[in-house]
Amino acid sequence: MPEYVIVALVKIALLIGGLMTAAAYFVLLERWMAAWIQDRKGPNRVGIPLTKIKLFGLGQPLADGVKFILKEEYTPGHVDKFLYSLAPISILAAALASFAVVPVGDRLPAIFGYGPFDLTAAPGIDVGMIYVFALSSIAVYGVILGGWASNNKYSFLGGLRSSAQLIAYELPMGLGILGIVLASGSLRLETIINAQASSGLWNVFWQPIGFVVFVIAAFAEAARLPFDLPEAEQELIGGYHTEYSGLRLLMYLVAEFLHMIMAAFLIVILFLGGWHFWGLTGDATGEITWGQAILRHIILMSKITGVILFFMLVRWSWPRFRFDQLMALAWKVMLPLGMVNLVVIAVLVEFQPQLIERAGGRGMASLLMIGASWLIGIICWAAVAWASPLGTDNRPVYGKIGAME
Amino acid sequence: MSFSERVTYVLSHPGWPFALVALLGAAGMFLLLPRGARGGRRVGGMLAVAAFVLLGAKLPHLTGLREGVFAMLATVTVVSAVGSVTFRSPVYCAIWFALTLAGTAGLFMFQGAQFLGVATIVVYAGAILVTMLFVLMLAQPQGLSTYDRVSWEPLLGAGVGGLLVGLLTHLLRSSLATADAGFAAAKPMTENAVLVNEHVAGLGAQLFSKHLIAVEAGGSLLLVAVVAAVAITSQGVPKRQGGRYE
Repeated sequence: MPEYVIVALVKIALLIGGLMTAAAYFVLLERWMAAWIQDRKGPNRVGIPLTKIKLFGLGQPLADGVKFILKEEYTPGHVDKFLYSLAPISILAAALASFAVVPVGDRLPAIFGYGPFDLTAAPGIDVGMIYVFALSSIAVYGVILGGWASNNKYSFLGGLRSSAQLIAYELPMGLGILGIVLASGSLRLETIINAQASSGLWNVFWQPIGFVVFVIAAFAEAARLPFDLPEAEQELIGGYHTEYSGLRLLMYLVAEFLHMIMAAFLIVILFLGGWHFWGLTGDATGEITWGQAILRHIILMSKITGVILFFMLVRWSWPRFRFDQLMALAWKVMLPLGMVNLVVIAVLVEFQPQLIERAGGRGMASLLMIGASWLIGIICWAAVAWASPLGTDNRPVYGKIGAME
Repeated sequence: MSFSERVTYVLSHPGWPFALVALLGAAGMFLLLPRGARGGRRVGGMLAVAAFVLLGAKLPHLTGLREGVFAMLATVTVVSAVGSVTFRSPVYCAIWFALTLAGTAGLFMFQGAQFLGVATIVVYAGAILVTMLFVLMLAQPQGLSTYDRVSWEPLLGAGVGGLLVGLLTHLLRSSLATADAGFAAAKPMTENAVLVNEHVAGLGAQLFSKHLIAVEAGGSLLLVAVVAAVAITSQGVPKRQGGRYE
């Protein structure tokens, strides 16, 4: 077997193991966050089995997993059996496969003459960004097929809502990414990080509109709480996975957490500088030492954990959108903002060389770019606030209030 | 030329095996297609498999991992394409079609065309087919309407398909034989060429220099379609007359 196959297999094993563990422990973290926000204790009992050691409840994910595996895998009689089984498999497979192009650090120095190793399962895929997009669009299949095959009104409604939502929010997400691609000139995630690391200017500083649009679209794509209409426990009793139990339900839930982790990875890599931190991570090009490699990995992981904590904080802070609000936000607010962002970034990138020349140096030019983009961002924010004031009345607008008979 | 000489000449033509295999495949597909009649599907399946195996046997022998990957991707594509026309339930047809697209994308990737492969998934499987699936599910949740469950022109469809496959295979085979290319057409790019090339940048440069007019024309067409869609959907708004709505 050629050695690159062995390296790839080891990377895949590490990646899947790490992701599954991460998904399990993020569930625990989410429950702790929920408990903290709602002022209760949360899961703190399960520790090492058969002893009385509690370990702050760190055994809880294990217990949950065992429970899911040992539960009866019940298939209702009225479902389409083949698609019912296929749907959770397809969503989990797509969610796992999309991590193949995502760097989990920079690279490792050579070991015994082999290497250096990229910390990406499939390094150098030139279309990395679109690959992630493609697999997230495959995930839609898992949701609508699950909803349809369950042969249940609530499941079907959840599936329909979900496909509409995911298709609608893919557009602003793409527009948010376009600004980044324009600035770094590549769809390769490693190149995007390197561009930010070598200039020291994270994309979030000079692409504020793109950041806001992308983060909101990423929340919607991951179906996290202000956007969890596909599931909506209170209205649809779980949406597309109402009829699922046991291991198949576990697949859906893990896939959902993987989507959130993926969204966090993308936010950090595209906008928050990836593994870069000023003064700590050293030069982006050239040789890398073990210390730097580990430091870069730790910095990337802490940023991702921070973004995921933000996701969880949002979940317990905002109520769910109504469907018309969801669609209005996507098509009337996010899409125009994404367009504005694209134009602004194109202009800034085009005139960057002249700006550096006139302003005398990179630092001054960067400051000017940051100032201009934030000014436009604030104007856009004010325009959105003026054009679509806060309102919760969803009755059809018949002219002025009182004109309706 | 006497009659017997003509017959010998025609029968000695190298295209005969392909014609026969194409005929076999067409007959198998005709029997497999949902015609409303029950019988013959198993026989049709066996005939189609036989035609596929015979055509496959004409290929050069598989040597090594790369040809194996190619053969696997190609088999997935062809089998799921057959599945997408022969299944009765439209939803299953759509799923098989999605698998065909995945196989096609894999073949693109195999040849080093990363962007085309991923774009196939994003555009066809991710957007168009999902919309179709949406409509199919809304149209017949029970999946029992007969007009959706039979194919309209099974004989014509199978015949034309068989003719196309036979002719294309024959032409490709003869051109491949003259170029002595064999499997060269299906060889993947070497590892370094795939890893080093800036595929997307190259593709973009081609599109926006050599094919600029085509890109602009396509963009204008899409803009017209968007305007038309807005015009169609905004017709339902009631008109205002003196503060009232009709």
